[in-house]
Amino acid sequence: MNVKNIRQKAVPFLLAIPVVIVIFVFIAVFLFIVTNGAGAISWELMTTSVLEGGIYEAIVGTFLLLGGTILIATPIGLATAIYLVEYAPKGRANRIITQALNNLAGVPSIVFGLFGYAFFAIFLGFGVSLLTGWLTLTFMVLPIIVRGSQEALLMVPASFKEAALALGATKWETIRTVVLPTAAPGLATSSILGMSRVAGETAAILFTCSVFLTRGNPHTIFDPVILLTYQLFVELVTSPGATYDRAYAMAIVLLMIVVVLNMVGYIIRVLYRKRMKW
Amino acid sequence: MLKRDESKFQKFLNGLKDNFSSFISKMRQIREKEKEEIALFILACSSILILFLITVFVFQAALPAFKEIGVLDFLFGKSWSPGYGRYGAAPLFFGSFMIVFGSVILAVAIGVFAAIFLVEYLPRGTADFIKPFIELLAGIPSIIWGFFGLVFVAPRVADFFDLPVGRTALTAAIVLSFMIVPTIVSISSEVIEAVPQQYRRASMALGATKWQTIRGVVLPTAKPGIVASIMLAFGRAIGETIAVLMIAGSVPLLPSPFYDYLDPVLPATATIATEMGETPAYSLHWHALFALGIMLFIITFVVNTAADIYVRRTKRGVIMV
Repeated sequence: MNVKNIRQKAVPFLLAIPVVIVIFVFIAVFLFIVTNGAGAISWELMTTSVLEGGIYEAIVGTFLLLGGTILIATPIGLATAIYLVEYAPKGRANRIITQALNNLAGVPSIVFGLFGYAFFAIFLGFGVSLLTGWLTLTFMVLPIIVRGSQEALLMVPASFKEAALALGATKWETIRTVVLPTAAPGLATSSILGMSRVAGETAAILFTCSVFLTRGNPHTIFDPVILLTYQLFVELVTSPGATYDRAYAMAIVLLMIVVVLNMVGYIIRVLYRKRMKW
Repeated sequence: MLKRDESKFQKFLNGLKDNFSSFISKMRQIREKEKEEIALFILACSSILILFLITVFVFQAALPAFKEIGVLDFLFGKSWSPGYGRYGAAPLFFGSFMIVFGSVILAVAIGVFAAIFLVEYLPRGTADFIKPFIELLAGIPSIIWGFFGLVFVAPRVADFFDLPVGRTALTAAIVLSFMIVPTIVSISSEVIEAVPQQYRRASMALGATKWQTIRGVVLPTAKPGIVASIMLAFGRAIGETIAVLMIAGSVPLLPSPFYDYLDPVLPATATIATEMGETPAYSLHWHALFALGIMLFIITFVVNTAADIYVRRTKRGVIMV
C-alpha cells in the first residue's frame, strides 16, 4: 500500500472527528439539563407562584412574551416578504430592504435591549413593560421571519399564480387565495422558529420588560413580566453557590419549549415538502 | 313607437351602466392594487426605519459619554472602574476579541471539516438526519449554554489546567465555539453542496483522489461562501452576551501576558448586561454603557456589510449564498 492510499483511507476518519465532537456536545448539553432537571421538575413547582419559590408566573410570562411578539412580528414580516418576493423581486427597493434586514439580523441582542430601553421604555414612555418587550423583540425576530417567509413564498410554483391570473384574478387576489394558502406551512414554520428565538432570549429582555419579582401575572400590557430566562439569569449570576435545583427545573422547561417549537417547525417543513408534488 | 323608444333608451341606459360599472371596477382595481402595494411597501420599510432608530437612539444616549470621556480615552483607556470614574473600554473590547478570536478558530476547525464530511463523505440520508440536530444546537438559548459552561465546562477547565477558578477566557471561547459552529456548518455545507458535480468528476477523471479533489477544486470554489459563514459567525460571537457573562470570569482587566487565555476577562456585552441595572439613568456610567453598545453596533454592522460585499464581489454565477 503506498502513502497516497493510506491517506485516502485515513481522511474520512479524521474528518469524522469534528462531526463526532458536535454530536457529543449536543448529547452532553441535553443530558446535562435533562438528567439534572428531571429530578428537580414537578407539576407542583410549575403551578406554584414565584413568590412561594415556584415558577408558575415565569412560564406564563414567557408564553405571553412570545405570543404577543409573534402576533406583531408575523404580519410585518409576512408583508415584507410578500413585498420583496411578489412586488419588488428586483431593483433598488429590494436591495436596500434586504440589506437592512441582514444588518438587523446582525445587531447583537444586548444592543436591541439598549435600544428598546432608550426608545420604547423611555422615549415613548412605555416603561419596563410587556409592550416594550414585544416591540423590542419584534424587530429582533423580524429578519428570521422574513427570510423564512421569503423561502416559503418562492417555493410556490409560478404556474399556480399564472393559472389564477389567467382566470381574471388580480395580483392581490392571487396572492391572497393562491400564494398564501400554498405557502402557509412554510410561513408557519418561520413564525414558530421566531417564537423559539424569543422564548430563549435573555440579553434583550434584561432592561426592557422583565422583573425578578412582582405580584401575579401582568394585568395590562404596561406591567412588567416574570420570565424563565430572567429568573434563571438572576439565580445563576447573582447567587452562585446556592443549590441549582430551581434553576435546573427552569432550564428543562425552557429547553423543552425550544425543542418542541423547533421540532414542530421541522415536522411541518418535512410534511410540506413531502406533500409537494407539483 | 313609444315602446321601441323606451327599450332603446333602456338599452342605452344599460350600456351606460355597464360601461360605468366596468370603469368603476377598473378604477377600483387600480386603486386597490396601489393601496396594497403601498401598504406592503410601508411595512417592508419598517426594518429600515428601526435600523435608523437604533442608530439614532443608541448613539444619542452614548454621545455625552464620548464628549465627557473623550473618544480616544474611551477606546484606549486601560482601566474600567466606574466606581472611580474611569471608563477605559480597552480591556472590555480586548476581552471580547480574545474570546471571539479563540472561539472562531475552534469553530472553524470543527465546523468547516464537519461540513466537508457531511456533504462529501456521508450518504445523503445520514447527512439529512444529522442536519436538524445541528440546527437545534443553534436554537439552544444562550442562558442554557451559560449554565452548561458554568457547571460542566468550567470545573473541567479548572481541573485540567490546575486553576482555582475555571471561569476564564478559554472557557468562554470553548462554549462560544459550540454556539457558532451551527452557523458555520449549515452555511458551509450548503455552499459545498452547491459546487457543481461536474467539477468533482473532471478532477477525478484527471486522476486526483477524493481528498485532492476536495482540497484543490471543491474548497476553492466554495471559499467565498465559507468565508462569509465565518464572518457571520464572528458577528454572532461578538454580540453574544449571557453565556460569556456567566463563564468568562468578569474581571475588567487586560490579561497579563496579553495572550493568556487562562485569565478571566469581562467582554463589552457582558459589561452592559451586568452594570446597566445598577446604574442611575443619565449618569456618566449609563452613557458609557450606551457608548459600548454603539461600538458593538458599529463592529457588527461593518462585519456584516463586509461579508455581504465579499460574497457579492466574488460571486461568479456558481456559488450563491
